[in-house]
Amino acid sequence: MPNEPLIDALAGDLAPVRPRRVAREFLILVGIGALEIALMLLLGGARPDIGVAISLASFWWKLLGLGALSAIGMITAVRSFEPVSRPWRGLRLFALAVGLVLAVGWGIDSGDAVTMPLFERLMWRHGLDCVLRMAALSTPAIVALGLLMRRGASTDRRASALAVGAASAVWGAFVFAFNCPSDDPLYIAVWYCLGCAIVTLIGRLVLPAITRW
Amino acid sequence: MSDDGDWGALMAAAQAGNGGAYRRLLAELDGWLTRYYARRLPSGVTQDAAQEALIAIHSKRHTYDPARPFKPWLVAIARYKWIDRLRAMARQLETELTDTLAVGDHEQGVVGAIVLAELLASLKPAQRDAVRLVKLEGLSIAEAAARTGQSESLVKVNIHRGLAKLARIVQERGDAE
Repeated sequence: MPNEPLIDALAGDLAPVRPRRVAREFLILVGIGALEIALMLLLGGARPDIGVAISLASFWWKLLGLGALSAIGMITAVRSFEPVSRPWRGLRLFALAVGLVLAVGWGIDSGDAVTMPLFERLMWRHGLDCVLRMAALSTPAIVALGLLMRRGASTDRRASALAVGAASAVWGAFVFAFNCPSDDPLYIAVWYCLGCAIVTLIGRLVLPAITRW
Repeated sequence: MSDDGDWGALMAAAQAGNGGAYRRLLAELDGWLTRYYARRLPSGVTQDAAQEALIAIHSKRHTYDPARPFKPWLVAIARYKWIDRLRAMARQLETELTDTLAVGDHEQGVVGAIVLAELLASLKPAQRDAVRLVKLEGLSIAEAAARTGQSESLVKVNIHRGLAKLARIVQERGDAE
């Protein structure tokens, strides 16, 4: 058998391994996420008017929408690290959920009697600042998911990278939602989408190359 | 040959550090992988592909869940390495095209990769002819160029593009074992 020397070498110094457990990986991610939010709140990162904001439908739309997207994204990403997985199914669900969240936001926006011109609602200087902050806040998630992806065995690295990028991006936006004083659906749809798109693109471009196996 | 359940049990034992069980498992998987790649790759590269898959199985053995069937896990890894090999073959052609247009014989070409031959139907005729003649029938680039009327560089380009497209097709459509 031509591969016998290889088989001897592989079996010869066999070390026990701890089988991958998806539940453990989710726990790690939840722990990192909880720590990040706790740190931000402890360091005074919560928006000062949060007591007022919790009475607004748009605040809850922002928070719950991003929370749901984070959950779908994380589940899709972690499950895609198994050799037997269908990440595109989860990614399609994620895309559908994004559409649904945006549609609900549009419904809330059209229900509000807003008179300000569109350009002024966007507050682009503030918006660019938001993009940078949410990208920074997505760093722990993208690092953690990237390490889990390296340890796993994704058989579609591009899809996994896309899922990791998207999940990290919406996670960063979710954490940032506690800090961001804007509840304007238009502002959130534009700037949050831009910030998420940038982080997703970075994940999609970088991760496939560093997670080869 | 062991069935799926036996392989799963052997891998579970290997995860716990049982070298004897692992040696037996790898020996059986080696035969399975060699047959798998013989149907999907030119015969000159099947042995290398089987070796790479064995190493991948070894390095990712912690990702097997003993509560699940072993065969789908094995097929997923074998298929991943198959796509990897198709891409590597395409990249090799790309490098040759970049470095020089001088052409040597492609001794890796071979008959017998039945699944690969079936997939060729998805390619454009010029790509299909180039891949079939050089990678499956073992002709040199020069011979394939003479046979198809394409220039030698065009044969290489068509093989490169054809293999890259095959890798995409396999990735997208999956591969029933």
